[in-house]
Amino acid sequence: MNEEQKRDYQEKYRIAKLRGEKFFPDTIYKDVLVSFALFLLLIGLATFVGVAPEPKADPSDTSYIPRPEWYFLFLFELLKFFPGSLEWVGTAVLPGLAVALLFLLPFIDRNPRRHWKNRKFAAGLMSVIVIGMVALTIRAVVTTPPQAEATVAGTLAERIVAGQDLYAVHCVECHGAEGEGGRIEGVQGLEGVTLKPINSQDEMHTRSDETLYAIIEIGQQTLGMPPFGRAYGGELSPGEIESIVAFMRYTWDDRAEMPRAAEQASTLPVLKPGETPDYATHIEPIVKRYCVSCHRPGKANNNYLMRTYDEVMNSGDHKPNIIPGDLRSNLVRMVRWEKIEAGGPMPPSRPLKPELIEMIEQWVLAGAPEKAGAPATK
Amino acid sequence: MASKLIGWLDERTGIVGVYKTVFDRKIPRVNWWFTLGSASLFLFSIQVVTGILLTVYYVPSPEHAYDSVQYIMTGVQFGWLIRGVHHWAASLMVLTVFLHMLRVFFYGAYKYPREITWVTGVVLLLATLGMGFTGYLLPWNQKAYWATTVGTSIAGTVPGIGDFILRALRGGADLSAMTLTRFFAAHVWMLPLVILAVISVHLYLVIRNGISAAPKDDE
Repeated sequence: MNEEQKRDYQEKYRIAKLRGEKFFPDTIYKDVLVSFALFLLLIGLATFVGVAPEPKADPSDTSYIPRPEWYFLFLFELLKFFPGSLEWVGTAVLPGLAVALLFLLPFIDRNPRRHWKNRKFAAGLMSVIVIGMVALTIRAVVTTPPQAEATVAGTLAERIVAGQDLYAVHCVECHGAEGEGGRIEGVQGLEGVTLKPINSQDEMHTRSDETLYAIIEIGQQTLGMPPFGRAYGGELSPGEIESIVAFMRYTWDDRAEMPRAAEQASTLPVLKPGETPDYATHIEPIVKRYCVSCHRPGKANNNYLMRTYDEVMNSGDHKPNIIPGDLRSNLVRMVRWEKIEAGGPMPPSRPLKPELIEMIEQWVLAGAPEKAGAPATK
Repeated sequence: MASKLIGWLDERTGIVGVYKTVFDRKIPRVNWWFTLGSASLFLFSIQVVTGILLTVYYVPSPEHAYDSVQYIMTGVQFGWLIRGVHHWAASLMVLTVFLHMLRVFFYGAYKYPREITWVTGVVLLLATLGMGFTGYLLPWNQKAYWATTVGTSIAGTVPGIGDFILRALRGGADLSAMTLTRFFAAHVWMLPLVILAVISVHLYLVIRNGISAAPKDDE
């Protein structure tokens, strides 16, 4: 801009100001209104949408599909157009150029006109860039596969309950449902090994959470305990191991007080007088705690899986293991601690409590219904 | 009484002059697009307030970061609200800052005499994106960890100095406690101070030069 154009602009601006408004209160009123609307929007978003829960960072989980925050998606997507040895063009040259152009814009664009109609090239270029960014963002959203759902235990009570379920699956076969230990039965390679209890005061008072975490993660290989942490070839994520530690601590340590919510969720259901037991309410919690540890894929169990009602009723080499109404069903006889053709007494290390055995018997007698009020299976 | 007090204050601080320069001035008639700048400033103040409150409970270490955020969400009175607002205001701020830039661009408002205002604005845009990038890692969850792993490795592909940038960002070859503490430092100290300082210059220039008018089609 030459001096004349500058003077010209200043003069026009002076007139625009004269015909204009007062910053206070005319202009600032609009600003306050917009800010207040944004404030309400934020409160609404925080209250009704919230922040999606995410599992704790797990450096060993390489299957996780990384995705940046939405406003970086266009850049992420752009990189896909520069594969292999050209990658640096997308990562360094284009963004660097964009930033440099942005900084230098007022010095590159010497056109004195201001209305977009008189700046067709600049306005057109910017429009194309913005449309490109929006299109890349949309493309990124559409093409990224959905993340595998992960359950996130938020509160302590949720962690303890989650830990209990994980303990039942991964730990019970050796350490027993209550951490009582004893002679291991039916675990390959550890048959007949006797474990000390891990639920004792001794154990709980001398092992910190960090120690318990490390033992579960790395195992105690000289004693035969395999590693369970994913980083060491096991199945558990850091969050899952933490949940198991929380379960152990709050269930067995006499210094820790079990949160009420966790207590309610972890107590096995009791049969009310006159109530007919059903799978969902009464039997599943028993199965989850005492049976699933071995009766899941990949374990020696004669192919009898017990993860769902259907599997409990219809799987296994000796199926059916449950004949509705028949107390000579394999499952009933085995939990009564009998050794039969289909297999040894169950659970192998020590029998279930009498009231739990009785509940299973009543359930089978009632026709092994899946849900309360559902017709008994034939 | 009030005018006496103001007179007393003005004699010692020049407050009336400040008020006249900042508030009591004529500006061209502006439309609603002109509120995007103040909206960005408002969101920045929201981020400062909620961010300061979050640092009361947040612990920047890999062992405790996730749990401390969990605690903020479930254990702290209204912690969920503070974090929720901080989370959403971050996204909203990127949006308003970007739209603000577009408004300035399409109105040609970066031209004489507002070139320096534009340059400070670009710094603020980049710093806002930097805040988003560094803040994203702090909850130390899966999304945060892997997005930052990828984000920093992208910086590592810059020819020549890529490896140096990568190590400087991560504080080592891999993402670790070092990465978390330096992202934390950048997020709560370095970038906010840069933003505060540059906002001051930006606002000074806006007041000094006056806000641009929406151009007419013969301009």
